[in-house]
Amino acid sequence: MRVHLVTMPWHPLDLPSLQLGLLHRIVRRARPGDEVTEFHGSLRWAEFLLEHSGGRLTPGDCVEVGSDAIFHGLGDWVFSGALYDDPGWGTARLRDYAAGRGVPVGTALAMRPYAAGFVDACATEILAADPDVVGFTSTFMQNVPSLALARALKRRRPGLTVVFGGSNCDGPMGHALHRNHPFVDHVVRGEAEYAFPALLRHLAAGTDPVDVPGLCWWDGPVSRANTETRRTVAPADIPSPDYDQWQAALDASPVQEYLHPKLVVEGARGCWWGEKHHCTFCGLNGSAMAFRAKPGERLWTEIDRLVRRHRILDVVTVDNIIDMAYFRDFLPRVAASGWDLRLHYEVKSNLTPAQLRLLGDSGTVHIQPGIESLGSRVLDLMDKGVTGARNVRTLRECENHALTCSWNLLYGFPGERDDDYTPVIDQLPALVHLQPPSGAHRIQLERFSPHFTDPDLGFGKRRPAAMYQHVYDLPEDELADLVYLFDTEPAGIGGAVERRLREAVAAWRAGHADSRLLFEEDGAELLVHDRRHGRPPATHRFTGWQAAALRHLEDGRTVPALHRLLTAGGHEVPGEALETWVRRAVGRGLLFRDGATCVSLPTWGEPVRLPEGSG
Amino acid sequence: MSGPDGGVPHRRTGRRVEATAPLDLSGAGRATAEAVRFLRECQGHGLSVRWRAAGTPSYDPALLRHLPPPVELPADPGALEAWRTEHTHGVLYHRRGPDFVTVLDRRRRGTAVRLTLDHPGLLGTFLRLLEPTPVAVLDPVGREALALLTAERLVLACGGWAVTLPPRIRRWPVPCTAI
Ligand code: SF4
Repeated sequence: MRVHLVTMPWHPLDLPSLQLGLLHRIVRRARPGDEVTEFHGSLRWAEFLLEHSGGRLTPGDCVEVGSDAIFHGLGDWVFSGALYDDPGWGTARLRDYAAGRGVPVGTALAMRPYAAGFVDACATEILAADPDVVGFTSTFMQNVPSLALARALKRRRPGLTVVFGGSNCDGPMGHALHRNHPFVDHVVRGEAEYAFPALLRHLAAGTDPVDVPGLCWWDGPVSRANTETRRTVAPADIPSPDYDQWQAALDASPVQEYLHPKLVVEGARGCWWGEKHHCTFCGLNGSAMAFRAKPGERLWTEIDRLVRRHRILDVVTVDNIIDMAYFRDFLPRVAASGWDLRLHYEVKSNLTPAQLRLLGDSGTVHIQPGIESLGSRVLDLMDKGVTGARNVRTLRECENHALTCSWNLLYGFPGERDDDYTPVIDQLPALVHLQPPSGAHRIQLERFSPHFTDPDLGFGKRRPAAMYQHVYDLPEDELADLVYLFDTEPAGIGGAVERRLREAVAAWRAGHADSRLLFEEDGAELLVHDRRHGRPPATHRFTGWQAAALRHLEDGRTVPALHRLLTAGGHEVPGEALETWVRRAVGRGLLFRDGATCVSLPTWGEPVRLPEGSG
Repeated sequence: MSGPDGGVPHRRTGRRVEATAPLDLSGAGRATAEAVRFLRECQGHGLSVRWRAAGTPSYDPALLRHLPPPVELPADPGALEAWRTEHTHGVLYHRRGPDFVTVLDRRRRGTAVRLTLDHPGLLGTFLRLLEPTPVAVLDPVGREALALLTAERLVLACGGWAVTLPPRIRRWPVPCTAI
């Protein structure tokens, strides 16, 4: 059998598709006799735009539409016209939507005229390889581009088998995608390691795939959805991706010079935190929550192989959360390699300074610690398992270890109150020397999240997000099964507090570049050099118990706990004097107070700071 | 190596380094090669460095623009301003892989050239010349590699000495994706 694997726009241009890399191996392992080819449609689209627009539409524009506009569906919309054979389809609705929200759509509008021609060219190229099966993987805004191509393929060669999979196909979404698009023969829901080879066996034998768990298939005119399995794929059965065809496509591509390619690896699936405490806003699929990690040694062997093969030192991991065992059996191996790797990892915010140091030493310099909020009550509401003080400490340690920290400040949790935010907002100017969030964002309702599955948590009224009106030509009840994001009535804070929060975050972002708050040890004195935006430059000098107190508070403590530590260290400090001193230090922005806990804000390290995207 | 060393006298306080005597940029011999190595290592470790320049370069002075600018450039005070404005962190650097080195070169405005050095002769010479080396000691393979590396402006060869120009990145900036 000839199997053609396809990833369509808007797969990120600088990354190979992990999904294709895995599927390639899965098919080859299960069916050594089959021919497996890949179509890197996202790369092709960037080439097509560059060529046909005479250089006006660049790979950078693909990022703007395909990655930055995920919450507005712009990437899907570009291809809706091709899917529905109507170049003007949804344009008026898109314009209305964008005008009401101030969303820039010029680039998407400029791309739309090229979509149909591109889909046609893809179909020609794929059919020239004479495949028996074409498998699409779809995540984020890959649905409409993939559906448009699938439709074109089936129209030109009805005997071809079209299969869809990927996270857009999980649960009810996969069934809705199937029953509304008769040119999609099969939808694999959930992990493909066992299901895809099982489907291929049925296709080869010409039998109905009644026994493939989760699969959607056509029983005559009826769309059948087999019951999904709760069985997850064992780490030993998760292959190491094959990126050879991606590399070949990249080497031959004129857009290569615009890209900084990185490798993508997978150490683990699921989430060990979410297994016990599913964060209320997180849409990680419930059935895939079970945490399964490859042994660290194996992950390192995979990276070693890929680095040598592709001569690429930048590595992105897709894990939802790092396996804590990796601090013992993976990261030390990376550090010991002596190579100048640069890794991206999602971690939990309550790492110790030693763990953060190891991340830095191993080149894991880009982390996403799931900070989400700096207020403990809000963090409790979302069941995040960290405190605001702990999060501030993590941000401070990122400066000390020169770690790049990507995070968002989320709000809009049912049950949150203005006074959960006011003390935090008041203190944000003191944090200006720490890495700011990408912005303050109201949470959206995601399918599979506890907020979604349990309407009693506060989001009882919901409907498919408005953006889908310019993406799909489907009735609302079908959309309700097909889509991932939902609009709700706003919960939590609003009005003046919401505005203050957003303004304070904007000020943080604006004032960060030149802000420093640095410790320096000078004999018996502890100096704090304050060069933060919005304050007169100052150097504070501390000695004796005050210096000791600032050091103790680096770990974050309550005043009584601090008092005990100072006393144990031989410092006689009246409790009242300590209270007064702490209050003053909070007032000068040297400490952050989260409820009863205070944490020191000065850093020891001063990373080389560059403006974002200065490259 | 935890910081700069070699033949250049300097003082270090925290992440700040000060060269205690002017650095000879004339290109007359070993001293210039050592100065380049010193500045290159400071740059790679993300240290801020204060230094004064001496001598008139006998080579294209733009070859040094990826290194931290001096406080004083008596030979060509006019060029100092250009050096200061052009100098950005990470404009030219290298990274070590298992049996290759990648070089990122953004010295030409608006371009980002990525080179992979994996040919053994080229790689070996690039690494060897991290230490200032007399050209005369290189064997024919080394000389051929030197010619290529010089043509790519990755090595300064002058006054009978050669030294590799791109620092090895030892400290990523924040955000690390900016370079
Ligand atoms: S938000 Fe992160 S930590 Fe929380 S359940 Fe989801 S993946 Fe796990």
